[in-house]
Amino acid sequence: MEIEEVFSSKPRMKILRLIARLGALNISDIARRINLNYSTTKQHLELLESEGVLQQRVYGRIRMYRFNDRSPKAIAVQNLIETWEQHNKQ
Amino acid sequence: MAPHHSVFKDEAKLDINYVPRRLPHREKEHRLLMEFFNFLLRFPERMAQRVIITGEVGTGKTALAQRFGSDITSEANKRGVNVRYVHVNCREYRGKFFFILQHALAVFRPNFPRRGYSSEELLSTLVQVLDEENVYVILTLDEFDAFIDQEGSEAVYKLTRLHEMRAGQPPRLSFLFILRTLKSTERLDASTKSTLQRNVISLERYPKSQLVDILNDRVAMAFEPSTVPDDVVDLVAELAVSESGNARFAIELLWRAGKYADAEDAGEVEPECVRKAVSSITPTLRKNELASLGLHEKLFLLGAARFFKGNQRAYASLSEIEGAYAVVCEEHGEQPHSHTQLWKYVQLLSALGILKAEVAEAGTRGRSTRVSLPSVPAYELEKELSAALEKR
Repeated sequence: MEIEEVFSSKPRMKILRLIARLGALNISDIARRINLNYSTTKQHLELLESEGVLQQRVYGRIRMYRFNDRSPKAIAVQNLIETWEQHNKQ
Repeated sequence: MAPHHSVFKDEAKLDINYVPRRLPHREKEHRLLMEFFNFLLRFPERMAQRVIITGEVGTGKTALAQRFGSDITSEANKRGVNVRYVHVNCREYRGKFFFILQHALAVFRPNFPRRGYSSEELLSTLVQVLDEENVYVILTLDEFDAFIDQEGSEAVYKLTRLHEMRAGQPPRLSFLFILRTLKSTERLDASTKSTLQRNVISLERYPKSQLVDILNDRVAMAFEPSTVPDDVVDLVAELAVSESGNARFAIELLWRAGKYADAEDAGEVEPECVRKAVSSITPTLRKNELASLGLHEKLFLLGAARFFKGNQRAYASLSEIEGAYAVVCEEHGEQPHSHTQLWKYVQLLSALGILKAEVAEAGTRGRSTRVSLPSVPAYELEKELSAALEKR
């Protein structure tokens, strides 16, 4: 998928910012925090996972999403968000 | 209004949660703990440890565990081993396995969902997370009695045998269990008990001399120089001894006494501040006890109250109190009783917990009796006794 398609979605950007701020989260929690329904949130998460930006970890019945530590894309996205937010604070 | 000159330099050093760098009279136990967990610094992937710390209230169990936790973590970091210390008070979580595990997990996954799984799932999640983070945890279960009461043998068994179910993988969790006595482990089944009780560190009650050392350390950290006289430290230690050598009580009392000194802008902590502090913690003056005293017992006690109100000493000799009693007798038109009789009054008033008498060696001239008014503010005692004597 092209970069503009991944980043052109407001919910996806909200998800990335949220995980950058809070670390690993499960789907229901993410959906609640960005005020979106469960299935749409899940679709966005799956897309970000398929692009290698996020990864999911399964703990029994709980699935948590976080940045994919081994992916250069994930590192680049985290850097972008961090730089952006720091600049906005100044 | 803020006092002009507070006696405190840094009162946070008297906070119940403050853990000093040095724990006087617990050095040996600290070394022993470091020894028990030494392998964790060298071969963390090989084995886990379980240690029990026992001791009465205020014997330094929690402080020892936290000091150790902080020291072993920094030592491990120096050696490049990822060790974390997690301290949970079981009573805060009503002894529930689930909530205790949730607390431990939240250290690593603060946003892990709060519901939707069992304690067993949570325990395996915790271990999975520790594997992911490649971290070794020393989990301290403080007030472990509450856990045993609530969960019984099975949960303790699961905790202590955790690693046997993960053969070949590094043991991620070591435990420190804190209890008042080993009595509460008697309810556990034999195999759980035997696994648990291999390493036990028992903390004895602090005698007065050790409490004095602990208090002197805190005085140096928390108070301005020369604001806490030695006999005030001695008095606080004395009171803590009567509270079963409870160091926490002693430190809290010292802090409260400092607060009373500041409230009165006294510039130093006087024995009377300690008496006020102690009576604010426990109501010590029972009026019906005063009413039941005989006339000369009341007069003698009034003499003692005036003596301690009139000067800043924590202790007096029996003859000093006798002098003050003679003045009170004159005031009330009474003939003072004999020294032997007064000695009996001291015994009675000590038994009631109003006065405290100790026989002290007085050099070559034999023994003398040292009297103190440990826990009742002198002004309050004087007020009550004067009112009682007025009524007669």
